[in-house]
Amino acid sequence: MHIFLLCGLVLCSILAILATDLLKAAISLAGASIFLAMTFFELGAAYAGVFEISVVAGLITVLFIATISLTKGEGEVKERRFGRYLLPVFVVGMAVADFLVMRQFLGALPALPAAPEAADLGTVLWSQRTFDLIGQIAVLLAGVFCVLALFRKRSEDE
Amino acid sequence: MSDTWIINMAFVALLVAIGLYALLTMKNLIRMLIGIEIVSKGILLALIATGYEKNNILTSQSLAISFIVVEVCVLATALAVIINIHRHTKTLDIEQLTNLKG
Amino acid sequence: MSIPFLALPLVLAGIMPLLGKISKRFLPDLVANLTLLFLLGYGIFCARELVLTGPNLLQAALPDMTLNITLTLDSFNILLLLTVALVGLGVTLYSIDYMEHYDGKAIFYALLLIMIAGMNGLILADDLFTMYIFLEAAAIASYGLIAFGRKREELEASLKYLMLSAVATAFLLLSIAVLFGLTGSLKLSAVAAGLAALDAQGAAALCAALFLMAFGLKAALVPFHAWLPDAHSSAPAPISAMLSGVLIKVLGVYTLIRVVLTVFGLSSAIENILMILGIVSILTGAFLALGQNDVKRMLAYSSISQVGYIVLGIGIGTPLGILGGLFHLLNHASAKGLLFLNAGALEHATGTRELDKLGGLGKRMPITAGTSVIGSLAIAGVPPLNGFWSKLIILLALIQAKLYAGALIAALAGILTLWYYLVLQRRAFFGKLNEAWQNVREAPFWMSASSILLGAVCVLVGLGFPFVIQNWIQPAADALTAGQSVLHLPGF
Repeated sequence: MHIFLLCGLVLCSILAILATDLLKAAISLAGASIFLAMTFFELGAAYAGVFEISVVAGLITVLFIATISLTKGEGEVKERRFGRYLLPVFVVGMAVADFLVMRQFLGALPALPAAPEAADLGTVLWSQRTFDLIGQIAVLLAGVFCVLALFRKRSEDE
Repeated sequence: MSDTWIINMAFVALLVAIGLYALLTMKNLIRMLIGIEIVSKGILLALIATGYEKNNILTSQSLAISFIVVEVCVLATALAVIINIHRHTKTLDIEQLTNLKG
Repeated sequence: MSIPFLALPLVLAGIMPLLGKISKRFLPDLVANLTLLFLLGYGIFCARELVLTGPNLLQAALPDMTLNITLTLDSFNILLLLTVALVGLGVTLYSIDYMEHYDGKAIFYALLLIMIAGMNGLILADDLFTMYIFLEAAAIASYGLIAFGRKREELEASLKYLMLSAVATAFLLLSIAVLFGLTGSLKLSAVAAGLAALDAQGAAALCAALFLMAFGLKAALVPFHAWLPDAHSSAPAPISAMLSGVLIKVLGVYTLIRVVLTVFGLSSAIENILMILGIVSILTGAFLALGQNDVKRMLAYSSISQVGYIVLGIGIGTPLGILGGLFHLLNHASAKGLLFLNAGALEHATGTRELDKLGGLGKRMPITAGTSVIGSLAIAGVPPLNGFWSKLIILLALIQAKLYAGALIAALAGILTLWYYLVLQRRAFFGKLNEAWQNVREAPFWMSASSILLGAVCVLVGLGFPFVIQNWIQPAADALTAGQSVLHLPGF
């Protein structure tokens, strides 16, 4: 089951690159997000899965679609032919090499056990990774101000 | 290290490779951003799979949530820049943006 | 003790747009400048405390809640915090007049303060993932600031930087995930201890390579430097000063040094890679700077070259080399910040950055010309200015380590640096005055004031270098060479 979800994820990603229509590409990307979220549920990461569906499959897709419709019109971009034809070959070759190397490399790795963690996500998020939350505030403020700065009203002299 | 982790990490490498391929070969700016998105899906999978492997799924979920927040902010900034570029040049073709010499 | 470095700029950035609603210019100017002034003063205060009490770890706490915010403050961190605050103060003073060209001053200051908060948070953090988050905060703010003028080339430069950074941070996070998988922890000290206990040479080497790529891109070391000349030359002048002066050093060099030295340890392979990257960057940057006609582009290529010196110094790996590298970090920050501010003053007065069109402006703009000469000579390494001493220390360290070829290249590149800076000065400020600039006047008061501030730092650090080295740089280098033992503090 797990492996099928991952294959779906990869297939959707490839579709997102190959789709001629940008709108279809954005929707394929959302599909990939949903496969990823299902993988997360499978691995017991329900909260991350919910976030993935609501924020990445939802919000980011909306942002993409808004941009696509705002920039539509003249100046269609023609992608290079070989980029499109080469991708499946590239993916298959990469996958074969990947599975051969990964087993050799990662299988032999020693590892230390991690410390046991708190019982619920709230405790982990608030009392173990508190510093990350401050960083998130900084990142959010930065993102919001960047968007405000880039869409501020044009002054007269521009 | 368990088989699940190895399989997951192999898919992570595959996703990152596909994303980088898109970044290198595609000419449309939005499609390049889709490439970046695919790379970040790979990273998310790496974080969660590692947490599952280490029996630390909650920690890795909180990392993943932080990462998603960062991803959204970077993407919003990038799309804002792209819309502004489109206002100037009326195109999304990376090869038209040759004002900058290396 | 170290909370204000992070919290103050962050909170003030949050309320900056509200201040901008109350008064468009005066309040944002005042608040931003006071913040940076406070950070600089507080930094000096903390540094004095640090000499007396030794490195400290701060555990933030609320009465009825456990928080896990540990801020490490050691002599190495405080050097970076002070550099950020110093260049930041120069930049905010300068922006009072310069940013009148642009609208939206409040948002400009908000982004600048977030960039500073992000860098300070990155410097204080002791956890790999937290470092990543703050790195992104500073980087996102810098994308917005580079594109602030919304002209075509600025937008393109910003997008180029963003795309390359996205790749770099992807490598960074993959490496973090693998390290987490190996050692089960994300704290720098615990990861270092875990790697020492495990026998995983191959995986550690892979992670180190990924980190080198990611931070090398942020620091604009040569194979990964493509974004820097565009971003640094097209951004508004104060932002160029901030990017070249501190951003590449904090996001690239500091993180590189911190992670490599405390987590992986300075093995001879890493030393060699760092030295090769350093030397290649020094040469490439210097030769590319030589042919430039755009003032800011020349300065940007020079930054690549000077960051090469810093990395070369660290790569030698001896205490003297690390000392020289850190000292050059401080010196280059002040001098290059100054030069970018001067380039902005030239552009402000004449409307162009092309050397062909400039000339003879020394008489019209004496303060800009004077401080610019100081900055150029400082970077080129002319005694008694600060850059001379740091380059001398790096050269001595190279000779001491019997790396004569490296010493020769570094010395020759130093002469090349002097040459292109003399060309820059001669073509911009000396010679015949171009007819078009008859009515050019000196830059406004605050722009000159910030140039004088940074110029004074170059001269004073140069004259008082024994004092600076003994009190600031040597403890920082000690903290670094002591490596992990500094982070293993009693009680943790």
